[in-house]
Amino acid sequence: MEYKIEKKPAPGRDEVEVLGDTFEEGKPEGEDVGKWRQKLGSREDKLKYLQNGERYWFSEEWFGSEKRKTPA
Amino acid sequence: MAEEKAKSIDNASLKMIEKAAKDGVNTAFDRAEAMKPCPIGMVGSCCKNCSMGPCRVPLPKSLEETPEDKRKRRGVCGATAETIAARNFIRMIAGGAAAHSDHGRGVAELFLAVAKGEASGYELKDEQKLLQVALDWGIEIGDRSNNEIAVDIGEKALSEFGKQEGEIDFLRRAPLKRQELWRQQGVAPRGIDREIVEIMHRTHMGVDQDYKNLLQQGVRASLADGWGGSMIATELQDILFGTPAPVLSKVNLGVIKKDEVNIIIHGHEPLLSEMIVAVSQDPEMIELAKSSGAKGINLAGICCTANEILIRHGVPLAGNFLQQELALVTGAVDAMVVDVQCIMQSLPDIAQCYHTKIITTSPKAKIPGAVHVEFDEHNAVESARAIVKTAIEAFPKRGSNIDIPKETTDLVAGFSHETINYLLGGIFRASYRPLNDNIINGRIRGVAGVVGCNNPRVTHDDIHVTMIKELIKNDVLVVQTGCSAMAAAKAGLLTPEAAKYAGKGLAEVCETVGIPPVLHMGSCVDNSRILMAVTAMVKEGGLGDDISDLPVAGAAPEWMSEKAISIGQYVVASGIYTVFGVNWPTLGSKEVTDFLFKDMEDMYGGMWAFEPDPIRAAHLMIAHIDKKRKALGIDKARERVLYDMDMRRELDAV
Ligand code: SF4
Repeated sequence: MEYKIEKKPAPGRDEVEVLGDTFEEGKPEGEDVGKWRQKLGSREDKLKYLQNGERYWFSEEWFGSEKRKTPA
Repeated sequence: MAEEKAKSIDNASLKMIEKAAKDGVNTAFDRAEAMKPCPIGMVGSCCKNCSMGPCRVPLPKSLEETPEDKRKRRGVCGATAETIAARNFIRMIAGGAAAHSDHGRGVAELFLAVAKGEASGYELKDEQKLLQVALDWGIEIGDRSNNEIAVDIGEKALSEFGKQEGEIDFLRRAPLKRQELWRQQGVAPRGIDREIVEIMHRTHMGVDQDYKNLLQQGVRASLADGWGGSMIATELQDILFGTPAPVLSKVNLGVIKKDEVNIIIHGHEPLLSEMIVAVSQDPEMIELAKSSGAKGINLAGICCTANEILIRHGVPLAGNFLQQELALVTGAVDAMVVDVQCIMQSLPDIAQCYHTKIITTSPKAKIPGAVHVEFDEHNAVESARAIVKTAIEAFPKRGSNIDIPKETTDLVAGFSHETINYLLGGIFRASYRPLNDNIINGRIRGVAGVVGCNNPRVTHDDIHVTMIKELIKNDVLVVQTGCSAMAAAKAGLLTPEAAKYAGKGLAEVCETVGIPPVLHMGSCVDNSRILMAVTAMVKEGGLGDDISDLPVAGAAPEWMSEKAISIGQYVVASGIYTVFGVNWPTLGSKEVTDFLFKDMEDMYGGMWAFEPDPIRAAHLMIAHIDKKRKALGIDKARERVLYDMDMRRELDAV
């Protein structure tokens, strides 16, 4: 995920750099509609997503309803 | 005189049934009328497993059967009505599990060839899913290339079919409690092929003659399908062609175009059809189509091949199982390309009345009268080009007897369980939490999987659509696969606007998330996605420890194939109450039926039911969902109350 940095005027200072939007604008169109998996670029991103997003199967320490039980 | 049952609720189909009659074309609708089902075979009371028979052991029609009569109700070999019904039932499971699993094997073979660089034209499109399966199967990732990892995955997948000992590996994806239960019941499958072969052995004359023991082997083979062959097919297809994400498309015979070369892809495997999708967009092919007078090339699908290319490319659906013959009756289909499963042998006969080429492509499925262009995975692009060219050559030979119904409906499809997870939580915290929360707070009453075929013994699409509307009206979120999803799509239920048919709570959730109340998850093998979604719900927490604790239910209200029985059995054995319509194939034995409908609940927490009326069936499912909600202590809707200071003081005073 690439973060966008925006410049904004600040009281008493000319401009400051702030973190921009982390969400997508409006509705994607054409080919991109719904294709969320392409947002994950590198293999590292993908593995991180698996451990976090698909934590039901791949997290080391988080097993949801099976938290206190022996992992499969 | 009894009122004649309508053939379909779909106008486009009704128009084509009428045209077929005018054109002198005989369809499944006519054949079903002309041939009534055999009442003995229908209830599982006919055995033809040896040449001392066939033996028929039907229940006596009226009088209560005496124990003496019952003892006499046997085949020549001594097999009881129970043994015969159970044998017939699990042979259906064997047929269904074999179909799904052989599909899975075909995918695994192509997958391995792609991984080794031996199948040009294909690529490994979804690295994310590749890594996911590698993690699942303990395959080293490190700095290895995707192809190196894929070779290990392909070899491992193929070995799952012939495994003799231990357990199939995807079983470990299930909730821990469920895995333990399968082990206790002795039904954890050892290998996919082994369990199917064992059914054929045990049901041979004079082998297993304990109906409970037979039915337990049926469970084992069905699990080898759902958590084995089907799951392998789904996962490897995702790696090869991409994991489905929401796509917009259209459904019904109106997607066939008068001025373009129409190619209908029909069957179940996406291996060749993916290539036809690519080749039909090739400028050279489009030019060729134009040179023969067409404006372009139009692809559309029937049955699950259609679902596969819909959920990945948005290719429109021409229709479901009972529309395969009707598509030809339009007179505007230039070629129908078929692979395996659910293909009617009548297609080449009907094609003769028009100009259509029926092209078989699998060495496993040839039909006399069809053109055979064998799909060679090592030369897939060439196979696809040959097929598209055949269609283009047929275009100028069209007759004047063309009538394409106008009907099309918009739909959104492609809700893989990964996509549902993403839609509910976003990339940073994909989650099933919002779904579980909305079930707990009662906005969503539960989740129902409505899947399966069409069957001309009932009004086409009517049973699906009536059941689904009743479920969503009662705040039950519906997930779908197969021909059932196409029926819902034609009725406009697969768009976010369908929230208008949903109860207030479900509509609210759909509007917030921007999803339809009916989610199309893919093809028949993609019922494995439903298994993963319910497992995610369990693992997310708050709705019990096992799939059988969840307020969920399943149904195949217009089922007809052996695959549906296999699916139903693995869904039941995974802990889900499942209602089938049309007819029930063990009614010839009360004991066998009781075992499936009652005893299985104690053993697996899920059981079968039979109810042909869609409203009554929906209410059986809702009653089961409510029973589970009560057991979880979430049977009363808990709206959040915002406390003001007075209310707080009152609380403190207690
Ligand atoms: S196996 Fe038994 S019941 Fe079946 S056909 Fe042979 S004799 Fe009849």
